[in-house]
Amino acid sequence: VEFTKVAADPSIVNLGQGLPDISPPSYVKEELAKVAAVDRLNQYTRGFGHPSLVKALSQVYEKVCGRKIDPLTDILVTVGAYGSLFSTIQALIEEGDEVIIIEPFYDCYEPMVKMAGAKPVFIPLRCKNGNSASSADWVLDPAELASKFNSKTKAIILNTPHNPIGKVFTREELQVIADLCIKHDTLCISDEVYEWLVYKGNKHIKIAMLPGMWERTVTIGSAGKTYSVTGWKLGWSIGPEYLIKHLQVVHQNTLYTCPTPLQEALAQAFWIDYKRMDDPDCYFYSLSRELESKRDRMAQLLKEAGLKPVIPDGGYFMIVDVSTLNVDLSDVDEKQPYDYKFVKWMIASKKLSAIPLSAFCGPETKKQFEKYIRFCFIKKDSTLDAAEVILKNWNKQTG
Amino acid sequence: SFKSFTHFLSHSLQAKMSRPVQARRLEGIDKNIWVEFVKLAATYSKVNLGQGFPDFPAPDFLTEAFRRALGGGNHMLHQYTRAFGHPPLVKVLAQFFEKLLGRDLDPMTNVMVTVGAYQALFCCFQALVDEGDEVIIIEPFFDCYEPMVKMAGGTPVFVPLRPNPPKDGRLMSSADWQLDPAELASKFSERTKAIVLNSPNNPLGKVFSRGELGLIAELCVKHDVLCISDEVYEWLVYDGKQHIRIASLQGMWDRTVIIGSAGKTFSATGWKVGWVVGPDRLLQHLRTVHQNSVYHCATIAQEAVAQGFQRELTLYGKPESYFIQLPKELQQKRDWLVQSLDGVGLKPIIPEGTYFLVADISQFKSDVPDDPNSDEPYDYRFAKWMVKNKGLAAIPLSAFYSEAHKNNYTNFIRFCFAKEEATLKAANDILQKWKQEKTSS
Repeated sequence: VEFTKVAADPSIVNLGQGLPDISPPSYVKEELAKVAAVDRLNQYTRGFGHPSLVKALSQVYEKVCGRKIDPLTDILVTVGAYGSLFSTIQALIEEGDEVIIIEPFYDCYEPMVKMAGAKPVFIPLRCKNGNSASSADWVLDPAELASKFNSKTKAIILNTPHNPIGKVFTREELQVIADLCIKHDTLCISDEVYEWLVYKGNKHIKIAMLPGMWERTVTIGSAGKTYSVTGWKLGWSIGPEYLIKHLQVVHQNTLYTCPTPLQEALAQAFWIDYKRMDDPDCYFYSLSRELESKRDRMAQLLKEAGLKPVIPDGGYFMIVDVSTLNVDLSDVDEKQPYDYKFVKWMIASKKLSAIPLSAFCGPETKKQFEKYIRFCFIKKDSTLDAAEVILKNWNKQTG
Repeated sequence: SFKSFTHFLSHSLQAKMSRPVQARRLEGIDKNIWVEFVKLAATYSKVNLGQGFPDFPAPDFLTEAFRRALGGGNHMLHQYTRAFGHPPLVKVLAQFFEKLLGRDLDPMTNVMVTVGAYQALFCCFQALVDEGDEVIIIEPFFDCYEPMVKMAGGTPVFVPLRPNPPKDGRLMSSADWQLDPAELASKFSERTKAIVLNSPNNPLGKVFSRGELGLIAELCVKHDVLCISDEVYEWLVYDGKQHIRIASLQGMWDRTVIIGSAGKTFSATGWKVGWVVGPDRLLQHLRTVHQNSVYHCATIAQEAVAQGFQRELTLYGKPESYFIQLPKELQQKRDWLVQSLDGVGLKPIIPEGTYFLVADISQFKSDVPDDPNSDEPYDYRFAKWMVKNKGLAAIPLSAFYSEAHKNNYTNFIRFCFAKEEATLKAANDILQKWKQEKTSS
């Protein structure tokens, strides 16, 4: 909330908040225009998800997962993936529970776990070998991870591809997590909103598909990230009926239904892409190709400015080590972490915004991550052009 | 090794979690009337007067606003807007409610947009009710209040509207259902955190009078209790009656959260745009809940609703105002349904507001005999039988009562009359035919 006020200032090149300034695909906008004309689509639909949408989701994910997914019992449509996280946590987590959160983490995980009365237990991704050129270099220490599990551990929240680092967890890494979930009879809440945004050489693997995991995993997806329509606020939870039914109970006691016209338009968009899932032109793949070149351009610009980007294997964020610039901010408010101060300084002096990484950390690790800031690169060319101008002139103004 | 054996075993059995999975906050709140009755209506009904939504279209100016927003070329309307409410919408809501409440409102702190009034209610209970708190709920009530209070750890305390049938034999009005002042006062204790007020009331259609609201307000002030005021049907009042906002009464602004709904205001229930209006000291806590549960509401619907309100702002009080035309139209439909029901021997309670009407089914009971072994209240069984056998969907009144009081009023069902003429005529045909079958059998 704090940093989104910056978005209102047009003189600042905003690479902070994770929202695309590129247009959603035209057929997605067209489908929404079509539904506006249909009267009954302006009234309530099925609470747990508009029938044509849950049907489309079940088809798409059946194809991805290679298993049967019942649209009525295995899926819940929510107000964004945010709403899915909330419904899952409210449904399955309570006082006395512990929930493992991998740092850095999408910032809502911690307050949501706390709101449910449970205790967040953090474990950081650590840069192996001191080298951080790629998101793949950031790993969990298996022994450290195992030490976080105990009899109170109710769930672990997994986010792959990862925000903010862009890490795409490998099968082996997921297996380590899965083994622990099975051993300790723990749930896995798998936030996979960036599932389609994986770059060359990487594959998104669903932890729910690992042996023994379907029955203990809730997988979360997002229309906003899939179709570049964050303002539609539609997401979904997919999992076994005996878990999803509790999410449905939360949903029927919190907002009951999601908007009808948006769900119908989304369903139609899914059908269009479902039919071409074996075709490289499918938006699920074409978007990630588009973003890969933006990623590469962004990385190049940052390096030229003397910054150290961590190249993400997935997602549309990139973290950058700013300590290489040695900007002295010691005279500024000492209580604030370095990255907060750096971002404020960068906004004021460079008219470029980003998000400080310590916003994504628990209290113990803020020091570890305070030399990093996060850039969002799902931006149109003119935005990246404007960022290029700033970055190219960076060293001329530094003093 | 033993480890790999159990590993293999759990894999091959695809074992579910062996410990209880769901949180205790879900206890007792898993049943939901709508899930069941919406399914029944979808399966059996030829005429659906059950769930509360219009079967006539949303007004042209609203759908036009939606189309304009989409066609306008601003593709950023497909991205996140301000979390606590799209600026054009909160601004026009503030302007509108300033007029209605007679006080200055800051769109940023006195207004918040929610995913329907439903989510506004959720934010209220989560933000303001804690374990150990009591919340007074007036029966009959929109069914979600009770589970929401429970989910927040609170204790619902019920107080009934009691029917005082008119002596002169005329049809009952929703005004004849009243709170007993002494009974209401007795429900307030030092643990009372809030009272939920719903005026105009769903399901009865009661429009609380100034005197009745004054009584509630006095008790709120005396016991320092909050008021959660569900006013979603604020524009749907008939017979020249006036909807009075309890927040405008002495001592009430600072302790009241007002809830509104674009779905009901603009006949577009599927858009799920609602709002809260209230003092910052209360709304700040609703914002905390909102940012940790939903965060943003869909942008484009908010943009279109803002346009709708702009139009109404300029037409306020004029005959072309939707807020004048809609209740005029609905009053006619109400009167039509009242006649229709009365004509066959079902006794309607004439609603002063909302688009619901409750009718006494006593005369039609012979088709659905009493069953002392049934665990369902009589009206549930009646409504289910009616939709399956007559194709007419309605909702049993006991759906709007607490568990303890479900058997207090089992001869009533609720009809929704926000329907096209053709739908109401078709309902009449079913009822007439049914009546004929009864008299000839």
